[in-house]
Amino acid sequence: MNEKDKIEILKDILFTDDREFEERISKRVDMLERTVNKKKQLSKKVDPLIEHQLAEFAKSIPQTLGPTITATLKEEIKNHKDEVVDALYPVLGKMVKKYVAQEMKLLSEKIDGQLGFLKSWKRKFKSIFSSKSEDQLMMDELSSAKIEQVFLIEKDSGILKAGYVKSKTIDEEMISGMFTAIKSFVEDAFEQKDQNLELIEYELYQIHIQSFVTHYIAVAISGNYSLSSKNKLQDIIFDFYHRYMAMNLDLVFDTLNAEKKIIPVRRDTLERELAQSFGNARI
Amino acid sequence: MQESKKIVILGHFGVGKTSLIRRFVSNSFSDNYKVTIGVHITKKVVEISVGKNISLILWDLEGTDDIKTIRSSYLLGTHGAVFVFDVTRPSTFQNLNDDLKITTEKLPDVPLIVVGNKVDLVDLTDLNSILKENNINSDFLSSAKTGESVEELFHKMATLLHNHA
Repeated sequence: MNEKDKIEILKDILFTDDREFEERISKRVDMLERTVNKKKQLSKKVDPLIEHQLAEFAKSIPQTLGPTITATLKEEIKNHKDEVVDALYPVLGKMVKKYVAQEMKLLSEKIDGQLGFLKSWKRKFKSIFSSKSEDQLMMDELSSAKIEQVFLIEKDSGILKAGYVKSKTIDEEMISGMFTAIKSFVEDAFEQKDQNLELIEYELYQIHIQSFVTHYIAVAISGNYSLSSKNKLQDIIFDFYHRYMAMNLDLVFDTLNAEKKIIPVRRDTLERELAQSFGNARI
Repeated sequence: MQESKKIVILGHFGVGKTSLIRRFVSNSFSDNYKVTIGVHITKKVVEISVGKNISLILWDLEGTDDIKTIRSSYLLGTHGAVFVFDVTRPSTFQNLNDDLKITTEKLPDVPLIVVGNKVDLVDLTDLNSILKENNINSDFLSSAKTGESVEELFHKMATLLHNHA
């Protein structure tokens, strides 16, 4: 036994623990390498199977879970009707409104088609007895909304500044006050300071309200007040207001002008213009 | 051209605001909706001098025990105000000066007339001492029942408004 062998024996005796530790680590590293290799191989085989199963599961959800989900939803809706309606109304409301409008239009067209024949004969007879041409009568039928009364009202006080009426009704100044009170009440009640009451419906009459900064115009209309009538009426109102009222607003906003005097427009002038603008208007 | 002015009639519940207006205005339509929107509107043309008329648009506001709760939008554009109290019910005038202070804050620069109503139900001497005790100065003591001072108070308002303009 030479010196080298002796040293090795001595090392064996002195570092037994370290050697065992080294062997254990070596074994673990081998085991880990094998495991990783196995998982990679396993994954290659298993992944497609899992994906296929998941796809199958997704396809089968309506059959397997559908009845359970439906039953749960039914129960929830039954127990929380108001909440469900609240949540769905904004979305469904618009859809329903659009659908109903479209269906009504279709229905109306169908009825018009059915009655067209009768109507044309009725119009022919009417034309013979009324000395009006068929075209004129047709125009009369189409523009059935009629302006009955117009009020130009000071917004805050509700004081009537001018009015136009076809036939005298109850006191216009009291009506103007009531319109203003109703308008204030509704606008206050909904706490919408930037929004204005636009329409009051009363049996066969509709009152269109167009608000401006200092005044508003209320127009009482009878007959079929359609969207197209509303557009025509608004054009007339805007034209009138631009010509006879908005000139004061120019002064209000003219900061260079030191003396911001409001130009008063005489009531009789306004009433004449109201009659001219609204009296013969077709809407 | 006849001027139109907006007058608001204020006061506690049951002081006789509506009765005063009914006495003053003969033509009026149903006031059933007052319960709904809290106001009833009537009109009366008052002659303040020969050939000079003012049209008073009277806003009869629903009575309230707390004047602060009056709907502010109904007070917009007001030209004149009438504050009515009931001389037979101290609860309607005990805080009158505070109520009037709030009213003038809500309606600055607006002519205000203070009216003690139902004067036909009390002894005038007793009433005057009660009002003095409570430090109350009323412009008119009226009775919607007998008509006492009703025409006068609205005429005074019309004159005030004419001079105020």
